[in-house]
Amino acid sequence: MNQLTVLYDASCHLCCRARRWLENQEQYVPLRFVGAATDHAKREFPYLDPEDTLQELTVVGDDGSIYRGAKAWVMCLWALVDHRGKALTIVSPALLPSARRFIDWVSRNRR
Amino acid sequence: MNAMVITYLLYIVLSLGLTIWVAQTLFRKGRIFLVDVFGGNVELADSVNHLLVVGFYLINLGYVCLALKLTRPVLSASDSIESLSYKVGLVLLVLGGMHFFNLWLFARIRRGARLRHAPPPVQPDAHAPAPGGA
Repeated sequence: MNQLTVLYDASCHLCCRARRWLENQEQYVPLRFVGAATDHAKREFPYLDPEDTLQELTVVGDDGSIYRGAKAWVMCLWALVDHRGKALTIVSPALLPSARRFIDWVSRNRR
Repeated sequence: MNAMVITYLLYIVLSLGLTIWVAQTLFRKGRIFLVDVFGGNVELADSVNHLLVVGFYLINLGYVCLALKLTRPVLSASDSIESLSYKVGLVLLVLGGMHFFNLWLFARIRRGARLRHAPPPVQPDAHAPAPGGA
């Protein structure tokens, strides 16, 4: 995988902060950011439901893989030099359900 | 030659011998780690291995030189053995510390290399339809 496109809610303050943080990290896999449900996103990813991408973070790999919610966050961490180890830890069966609940909670309460 | 000089000479010989032995062990056994880390690039692994061993020699021999001076008089064989034991014990501790530091460094470099090549840890939720497909 050589690139990950991150579809994020550009109207959400928390998401924009997360984007800036991700952009400033050293990356193994380059991250590209596109505002969810924008014309650009609809043109480039016509197969994605714009409403869904506004509801939860969506990441699309250059190989066509689509990741949503907690998995999308894991992929963002996996792309980073200093945080890949954390991504590999989070996906352990003991931690992933909690991570998923946390991400879902953040997604529901962000603005 | 008095007992003090003999003690110094014994200290130098023992410290040098121990340093060479540990450095050679590190050089021989560390190579396989580095070849793995650098994806089979033997030339690069040998180069890094050599540089690490040079650093190891510099630090240890530097310590051996600095710690040479005996602070109490050596008048008898038992004085000599006591002083020698104390000095060589310190050299062994420094060598042990340096050796474990090198092992930690190898493990860290290896972990970094493994992470760099780690595949995505989660399966995708879906795949984009193939271009031109339905």
